[in-house]
Amino acid sequence: MSDPTEPDPAGEGIPPAAAEPVVRRRNATRLSLVWIVPIVAVVVGASLLINTLMQAGPHVMIEFRTAEGLEPGKTEVRYKEVVVGRVEAVSLSDDRKRVQVGVRLDRAVSNMAVEDTNFWVVRPRIGMAGISGLNTLLSGAYIGVDAGNSTRSRKHFVGLEAPPFVLRNEPGRSFVLRAPDLGSLDVGSPVYYRRTRVGRVVGYTLDPVNDELTVQVFIESPYEPLVTQQARFWNASGLDLQLNASGLTLNAQTVSSVIAGGIAFERLPGSEGLAAAPAGTRFYLFDDRKAALAPPDGPALTIRMVFDQSVRGLSTGAPVDFLGIELGTVQSMQLLYDARTQRYPMEVTADIYPLRLGKVRNAMLQGAPAGGAADIRFLKQLVDSGLRAQLRTGNLLTSQQYVALDFTPRTPQATLDMSNGVPRVPTVPGTLSELQPQIAEIVARLNKVPFDEIGRDLQSTLSQARAAIRELSPEAQKALAEVQRTLGSVQASLQRLDRNLLDESAPVQRNVEQTMTELQRAAQALRALSDYLQRHPETLLRGKRADPPLADREKPR
Amino acid sequence: MTALYGCECCGLVSAAPAGDAQVQLRCPRCAHPLHDEKPHSLQKTWAYLAASVLLYIPANALPVMTTSNLFRDTSHTIASGIAELWASDSWGLAIIVFVASIAVPLLKIGTLALLAWSVQYAPGWRRFERARLYRIVEGVGHWSMLDVYVVVLLAGIVQFGRLANVHPEPGLLAFAAVVVLTMLAARSFDPRLIWREPDEPTP
Repeated sequence: MSDPTEPDPAGEGIPPAAAEPVVRRRNATRLSLVWIVPIVAVVVGASLLINTLMQAGPHVMIEFRTAEGLEPGKTEVRYKEVVVGRVEAVSLSDDRKRVQVGVRLDRAVSNMAVEDTNFWVVRPRIGMAGISGLNTLLSGAYIGVDAGNSTRSRKHFVGLEAPPFVLRNEPGRSFVLRAPDLGSLDVGSPVYYRRTRVGRVVGYTLDPVNDELTVQVFIESPYEPLVTQQARFWNASGLDLQLNASGLTLNAQTVSSVIAGGIAFERLPGSEGLAAAPAGTRFYLFDDRKAALAPPDGPALTIRMVFDQSVRGLSTGAPVDFLGIELGTVQSMQLLYDARTQRYPMEVTADIYPLRLGKVRNAMLQGAPAGGAADIRFLKQLVDSGLRAQLRTGNLLTSQQYVALDFTPRTPQATLDMSNGVPRVPTVPGTLSELQPQIAEIVARLNKVPFDEIGRDLQSTLSQARAAIRELSPEAQKALAEVQRTLGSVQASLQRLDRNLLDESAPVQRNVEQTMTELQRAAQALRALSDYLQRHPETLLRGKRADPPLADREKPR
Repeated sequence: MTALYGCECCGLVSAAPAGDAQVQLRCPRCAHPLHDEKPHSLQKTWAYLAASVLLYIPANALPVMTTSNLFRDTSHTIASGIAELWASDSWGLAIIVFVASIAVPLLKIGTLALLAWSVQYAPGWRRFERARLYRIVEGVGHWSMLDVYVVVLLAGIVQFGRLANVHPEPGLLAFAAVVVLTMLAARSFDPRLIWREPDEPTP
């Protein structure tokens, strides 16, 4: 090595400062190792692309009635809420009757493109049954899929218009509830057991022929053994607020069931250890927990009652009351025609539950099984001892009526009429309706009084009288003048009479006075005589002594 | 024949006999390898270019980023991202992303290919302009990493669980590899080859 600053004139044009490099031998390679880089790039790029292409599964076409809510590139295909594909294209079918939705499924679920796979569109529902529905509301529709079990692949499907009730292979058991009313239930509404969600409503069907509403519920595994034959289902929607003697009671299931509706069930006390009900068992969906857990009513006994009066205020569902115990409810009312009496009696049909009589029934029937002949015999006994049906007003304000079965005194003998299979309980008129015909009779009698005629007669009489008076008036005036004259002469006579009789100077008066004076004198004389006779009774025999002379007469005194 | 070698590392100039491929020269001061031209320069350039072209396909075909919010996951490729920006009237951003992510890598690959090709088949053609072209290509290269930075930053920051989430996708890896490979290609290309006379032996 030389000093770089030192000039090197011996060098062949090389600057003297140039240093001498370290020289090493090496193997000559024509090809650089750098070519590994593109090879790696090929491998990496290919693997990325292949990976992506591998993920893209089969492309299937699904036919739907409408493409509402389906957006190419955005709408997802979900299986159990997992995205397994995406809508790629939406087009009309050739006949423009249906839409064809092209869907790219993920590679992982390529085995879903088989014969019996079902596709349906989950559209936003205005319901709040769960987050999934809420999610749909915001995220738009998606295509739900239920994977089939077949091994035969398929590329063209016809989508279902409504979601299937239960996914294939989903563990659990479905049951059928007969419901009077759907309430706020919807597909997806939860089913609660002890306020724990154990299942859901998967569908409901209204049979238009039989007018029967059934709700299908699915109890998810592992809760299905909770449903035994003695399970009682009730509609847990809303709040149950009761004000009674024990205070205010508020019953509700979870908040979500209050808002979104739901079904709850419970096992009757004492029914533990019963075997689970088989799938498809039918239950009744009660309105509330109280009704559901009430002691079993047993089979209903249908009775008829024919009332010869208006049933206004009586409605279907009105109670049938036996001495204050609600024995059943009114089922229907029907107008009949009685050709014999030309009247329109009302036939009320009611279902009563004799088991509700409890001990009484047991005592009278010696515990015969419910339903059928025993209960009819029981009813017959009651009717024979005076049981009658009567319509009574339950609420004076609303004038709602109920049917009271009661023992009515002083009622004509009657028996249970079994003429057309349904026992007919004899009736008595209601208290109010007893009064009604009497009032009606009075009114009718009042109605019979010919007020009009009387008025008319009176009017004609009056007019005739007026006419007569008009006719008579000249004579009448003459007569009146005559009368006046007569009256004047009567007055004059009276005045004369007055003068002759009552005036002091009247001769009658004077005569009377004179007469009276003389009568007075006569009385004096008579007294004097009687005095004289008292003093000198002998004068009656001897006669009167001659009067002494006046002077003598004065002396003895 | 003796040739002079300037050490690329420490600047020391050394003199050694030229043209012996079997000999590796090293700087006497810092032991940095000395050579006339970068070894296998063209081969390396071609190899990196080939690799970057190959990876350019998945980089654009595959999504680079997935944004997910409450309702749906959306994957974006570079092109769809640009289209979305353009559609939402963010023309400036769209142009920047287009230039940085599509135009620059493509132009870079094309330019380097042109340079490498011209060294072999048209050595005398417009040497001065080619040299300037090379300088531009080398300088502009790393701006293409813009996309990668953006996605990586977003993926790091936007992590709000189910509410909003951004995560990178395999396409981003491919894209970053493309950018790195083009930079390597530019680095491995020896601009001195532009000035080599046709009769000189290829290194």
